[in-house]
Parts: sequence; structure tokens; C-alpha cells
Amino acid sequence: MKETVNYQELMRVWRNPTGLASLTLVNHKAVGLRYIVTAFVFFGFGGLLALTMLLQLSRPGLSILSPYTYNQFFTMHGTTQMFLFAVPVMEGLGIYLVPLMIGARDAAFPRLNAFGYWVYLIAGVTLYASLLLGRAPDAGWFNYVPLSGPEYSPNVNIDFYTAAISFLEIAALVAAVELIVTIFKLRAPGMSINRMPLFVWAILVMSFMIVFAFPPLVLGSIMLQLDRMVGTHFFNVAAGGNPLLWQHLFWWFGHPEVYIIAIPAFGMISMVIPVFARRHIIGYLPVALSLLTIGLVSFGLWVHHMFTTSVSFLGMSLFAAASMAIAIPSGVQVFAWVGTIYESRRLLWRTPLLFSSGFVVLFVLGGITGVMVASVPFDWQVQDSHFVTAHFHYVLIGGAVFPLFAGLYYWYPKLTGRLLDERLGRLSFWLMFVGFNVAFFTMHYTGFMGMPRRVSTYMFGRGWDTPMLITAVGAFVLAAGIAVTLVAAISAHTRPADAPADPWGGGTLEWATASPPPPYNFEMIPAVNHRTPLWPATGQVGPADTYYHPRDDQRETIGTSILDAEPQQRVLLAGNSVWPVLLALAVAITFIGSIVTLVAVPIGAFLSFIAIAGWNWPREVGA
Amino acid sequence: MATEPRVVSAESLPLNLNDNRAPLWWGMWGLIAIEATLFAALLVSYYYLRHSAPEWPLGGIEEPELLLPTVNTAIILVSSVPVAWADRGIRRGLRTRLAAGWSVAVILGLAFLAIKYVEMSSLAYRWDTNAYGSIVWTIIGFHTAHVMALMLKTVVVLTLALRGYFTESRNVGVQINGLYWHFVVAVWIPIYLTIYISPRLL
Ligand code: HEM
Ligand SMILES: [Cu+2]
Repeated sequence: MKETVNYQELMRVWRNPTGLASLTLVNHKAVGLRYIVTAFVFFGFGGLLALTMLLQLSRPGLSILSPYTYNQFFTMHGTTQMFLFAVPVMEGLGIYLVPLMIGARDAAFPRLNAFGYWVYLIAGVTLYASLLLGRAPDAGWFNYVPLSGPEYSPNVNIDFYTAAISFLEIAALVAAVELIVTIFKLRAPGMSINRMPLFVWAILVMSFMIVFAFPPLVLGSIMLQLDRMVGTHFFNVAAGGNPLLWQHLFWWFGHPEVYIIAIPAFGMISMVIPVFARRHIIGYLPVALSLLTIGLVSFGLWVHHMFTTSVSFLGMSLFAAASMAIAIPSGVQVFAWVGTIYESRRLLWRTPLLFSSGFVVLFVLGGITGVMVASVPFDWQVQDSHFVTAHFHYVLIGGAVFPLFAGLYYWYPKLTGRLLDERLGRLSFWLMFVGFNVAFFTMHYTGFMGMPRRVSTYMFGRGWDTPMLITAVGAFVLAAGIAVTLVAAISAHTRPADAPADPWGGGTLEWATASPPPPYNFEMIPAVNHRTPLWPATGQVGPADTYYHPRDDQRETIGTSILDAEPQQRVLLAGNSVWPVLLALAVAITFIGSIVTLVAVPIGAFLSFIAIAGWNWPREVGA
Repeated sequence: MATEPRVVSAESLPLNLNDNRAPLWWGMWGLIAIEATLFAALLVSYYYLRHSAPEWPLGGIEEPELLLPTVNTAIILVSSVPVAWADRGIRRGLRTRLAAGWSVAVILGLAFLAIKYVEMSSLAYRWDTNAYGSIVWTIIGFHTAHVMALMLKTVVVLTLALRGYFTESRNVGVQINGLYWHFVVAVWIPIYLTIYISPRLL
């Protein structure tokens, strides 16, 4: 190679500040890691809330939790797992992995990434502060009016919900835009759209869904907050409002939300299975198209959460049909995964593949009950029972947590330089798999027997006590399984970070750089000419026969065209800055401050303006 | 046959293009998509509330006055012209044209805000009168907040322009500010049709 890389310059330009100054870092890996770790902490909190609830329900007539506290617990559990865990963890993985997979040195807007993280952290801390104050939201994670309106919930609990949720979703939205632009513009030369790794496809679809699903939720929360604080009447029937408006705004977001979580999970499975099956995935194109189809169709489904409201019958039938139709693209992917495993001549049964297979089983089961509740008369029977709780945990835990653990075991060496212990991994999988099924399969039965969800206790003699006890035991086994992975993750750090760049023999670009990667990811950017650059076609030597070398003395990467990834430009990426955290604080004053006083709104808005100006002020012009 | 890989120095590629190939340009479209969804949800909420209301406007409120809002609509639509003119100018390096265009646009924007203020302060109902008042005030409030943000933002861009920061080869900041301006103008059209025209037509 004629060109030489100036490593000293690279390190100087890309160095992550430490200590207090680490508040200013913007590198996608540091921010992504923060997202992932924070999300898992919230997952733990949400899990503890769930265990306490199940302890309370394990016998009839217990009083571990008062009804008032129980309401806060299930609301905070649902809110945590959906808003503070599932979406952020997928975004965090996207932020960490996408630039590596597409051969970029960082994401397109590194400062926006950092800003989003701070918003997320502040919103999560606010919600948990409300729980510590004993004033947490208590109207369920979908917070239906009129229960959550000013008349029936006059106290501050719901103000925490409306303020924190509308604020939090800013984080999801900026991450989505940032990921879309990164995927569109910063792919390595030659990585045309039909050569993108399937995980990148999944993140792209997820991001587009966030862009169109979250704004109505933000709007709904703001409207509710206005109803509660300045006396508007959006949801107040007496003054011409309509409570169903809330349900439409919420489920327009809420149904796609399930797929916003599931699609990146599918993407992970489509990355893991081929590596452990030692062959290309069967049906790359149908799988990518299925992701797109699910993303589109899922916007046509929101009304199936409202079958027990006064929606017209024709409307209901259409939504029921669409709800069932989504089984088709999901099925295509299941066939691709099973087929890839089946066609493998050398299956490598390691923990990531174990979790992937567990996922396929659970997801099919959750899909079956999903098709069941998609039929209107059936839904009328099981509405608000434990059957529904069982169904959506099969989809959410089976469909998102298991893939996430597959991904965690698979990418942990990339993120940290350390492989997770294989024996602990297997133990964790089996405990989780068995515990999960014991807990939640039983819940289908309890639901059929009439046990409603969201009740803090029940009476003797309904036939619910034995199955509820079994559920509680199962949940503790599941929790033990999760704890084993935590032990594996911590104990890995007692060993030296000696994982090779590509411990599993993966085929995509994230494995082309060291584990963990240097802050600049790649000193040179490979020109990709097929889908798995590290599994070279016959006759080819390395991952690429051409490399692009951006400058080493500033944060540069290569910008390419959207479809064919023709190199177009060098893109100068933003460096560390204190403005993202300041802007997050200013916006927090607007949203979170509004719980206390409305004066905070204009003050926060003005401070935000100053922060935005400071953020964008070009250095060449001076202060 | 192991050949050495070829290394292309990226110096051969231009740094930071200014047109629709710039990441920032796409980022601005992302923001616009989000905001357009937000405004769409607002307008859908308007029609949804109307659909379930016995009369519209509710509670004997008069149909909205047309004259002032229509004049105002004309003003904001016209404000896009100097913006587009300024944008074209800086692409050819014409800095005075940039500053002149943006200044005219800011004046038009301020006029829009002033007239909006006069109009709203003469209304006989408020946001807490009934659901009609709530949705009208909220839609107008949202849009007005956008125009105000736009004014502030543009003043910053104008300051930079006067200091000679933008040039023929460095103007993506101007381009995306213009894009956002056109969006805030364009989104006013469905709002105008919904709030002022639709109660008379439908
Ligand atoms: C860690 C193991 C978990 C256990 C043991 C568990 C258990 C439970 C239980 C017992 C309830 C019902 C409370 C009631 O209706 O009285 C519940 C509700 C719920 N769970 Fe989980 N869960 C777990 C993980 C998750 C995850 C990972 C998610 C989402 C990604 C999730 C999302 C929800 C939601 C949305 C609700 C409904 C909350 C509401 O009614 O407002 N859960 N969970
Ligand atoms: Cu749904």
C-alpha cells in the first residue's frame, strides 16, 4: 500500500475524553454502549417490579402491595419495559453496530446521538423518581382517558407520565433520523442497498416506523397534559371532547411499537443464524422485503386494540383481516431461519444459536395466540384477562428479549473484547426458556379461567391460586436465568480482553476491525463487492481489493450515493461538544419543569434556542 | 494470486457537498417528516372531534372571520420568494443578495406574527371554552411556535451571513434553513383550509 495511515493523528482526533469531560463525548460506540447499559438497568428495574407483582398474586388475599401501589407497579413495569428498555436497547444496538456494519467511522450526526441519550436518561430518571416519591403513573402503560384525565386522576402521578413520555420520545425520534441518514449516506463504497446486512435493513425499517409512529403519541401526551393543566377539553365529553381520540392516537403508535421492537430483533436473528449455520441466509431478498412489508402493514392494525369499543363492524373486519395478514411476512422469515438451519452442514450449537432457536419457538407460539386475539369474537372473550398478558409476553419476551440475548452473546466480544462464558450461557438459556414457559404458558390457562389483568389480588376458590403460584415460580426461574447472564457479563471482565477481531467467523464488516474497535472504527474503508465481505468469494483475497483512505487529521468518513453506494464526498463529522448535554437539560426544563410550573415552558424553550445556536455555531467564526 | 489491494486517497473526493447529497440535507428532511406527521395528527384530531360533535363550531361559536387570516396567508406564502431568491444567490456566491433576501423574509414573518396576534386576541372564545376552542388554539399555537422558532433561527443564520461565513462552496446551512422555512409556510396551507375554510364548506 502506498498510502500510510497516521495512527497518532487518528488517535488524537478521535480520542474520547475521560472524567468529567466524558459528558462531552459523541462517538457512536460510547453513546451506543451507554444506551445499551442504561436500557438493561431499566430492564432489571422493570423485572423487579414484575417479580413483586407476581409474589403478590402468588396466593389469594396477600397484601404485599396495596392496590394503589400495585397500580403504580404494573404501570411502571409496562412503561419501563416498552419505553425505557425495549425501544432504547434496539436503538442503542443500532447506534453501536450500524456504522461498523456499513464501514463508516461514526454516525452521520454524532452530537444528535449524544443529545438523544441524555434526553432518554433524564426521562427515565424522572419516571423512577416519581416511583420513589410514591407518585408514579398508575393508569396503565396506555394511560386511557378519562381515567387519566383531570377529573379521575387529579394528583400529580399522571403528570409524570405525560411529561416524561412526550419528552422521552424526542430521543427516539432523533435517533431514528440519525440512523436513517447514516444508513442512506455513509455506507462503504460498493455496499449497494441490496448488499446491506439484514440487521441494517431492520434498523432502517425500525427508524422509519419511529418517524411516523411516535409524533402522534407525543401529540396525544401533550393534549392530555393541556387538558390536565390549562383546562383544554380534548378528551372531555361534557365540553365536546372525545376520549376515543386518545385511543386512536395511542394505538396508532402502540401497535407499530410492537414491531418497532420486533423488527430489529428479527434482524439480529438473521445475522446470527447464518454465522452459526456456516452458510448464507436462505432468501435474503424475501427476508428484507418481509421486514418492509411488516413495517408498512403494521400501521394498518391499530384498531385491533379497540375491538371492544364502538368501532364500526366493517372497520373491525378490515382490521381483523389485516391483523391476520401480518402472519404472512412473519412466516416468510420463520421459513428462512428454519431453512437456513436445516440446510446447514456444520451447525455450531453455541449460545447465540440456542437463544435464536428458542426465539423461533416462542415467537411462533406468540404468533398463534396473536392470530387468535385478532379475531373479534375471541378478543371480546379474553379482553383484559391474563390470556392477553400471556400473549403479549410471548411476543415481547419471546420475540424481543430472546433475540436480544442471542445478539448480546454474539456481539459481546465485539463490544468489550471478551467472550461470554459458554457454560453460563447455556445455563442461562435453559433457565430462561423453561422459566418463561412455566410462567406464561400457565397464564393462558388462568386467563381462560377468567382471571383479569391489573387486579392486585383475588379471592379463594376461583381456581386461580395454583396456576398463579406456578406462574410466580416460573417467573423466578426466568429471573434466575437472566441473573446468570449478568454474572457471565461481569465475570468476563475479570479476564483479559483478548477476543480476536472475528471470534465466530462472521461475514460482515463489524468483524473486520479489532474487538473492541478503535474509536475511528476503520483506518481505511473497504470497497465492498458482496453481502458478506469477510466470506470472500472464490479467488478473492481479503475483504476488499480497493480501500478508501479518508484523512487522518480530522473526523472524516466517506459519503456515498443512496442506492448504489458510489463514493461522492468526504463527510466531516462533528466532534465532542458540551452542547448536546446542555440542550438536553434545557429541553428537560420545558417538559419536566412543566410538571411543577408552566413558566418553565418558555424558559426552557429560550434556553434550548441558545443551546441550539451554540451547538451549530461554526468554529471558524469565533464566539 | 494474491495481489496487493488498491488504496484510493480520499483527497480525490470533494469535502462536504452542499446539495441534496449532504447528510444534513437528509437530516432536515427527517425533521420535516416528523413535524409533518405531527401536524397531520393535529388536523386529523380536528376532523375527528368535529365528526363526533353535534354542531361545528361547538357551543354557538361563530364561523371564523376570513379577511385577516387570508391576508396573513398571502403574506406568509410570499415570504418563501425572497428565501428562494437568497438561496439561489449564495449558490453563486452573492452574499448581499443572501442578506437582503433573508431580511425581507424575516420582516414578512414578523408581520405574520403581528397579524396573528391581533386576530387571536379578538376571538370570543379561548382554549378552555370547549373542544373546538382547544383544537383551534392548539393548532394555531403549534404553528405560531414554529414561525417564532424560524425567526430566531433565521436571525442566527443572518448574523453568520453578515459576517461573511457563507460562500459559494459553503452554504448547506442556508439551504437547509430555507428548506425548513418552506416547510413551515407549506404546512400553513392545510391549516388555513381546515380552520378557516372547511367549516363553511363541509
Ligand atoms: C422479566 C420478566 C417479566 C415478567 C415476570 C413480567 C410480568 C408481568 C405481569 C405479571 C404483568 C401483569 C400485571 C397485571 O396486569 O396485573 C405484566 C404486564 C406487562 N408487561 Fe411484563 N413481565 C416481564 C417482562 C416484560 C417485558 C420484557 C415487557 C416488554 C418488552 C413487558 C411488558 C409488559 C406490559 C406492556 C404490561 C402491561 C402493563 C399494563 O397493564 O399497563 N413485560 N408483566
Ligand atoms: Cu397491536
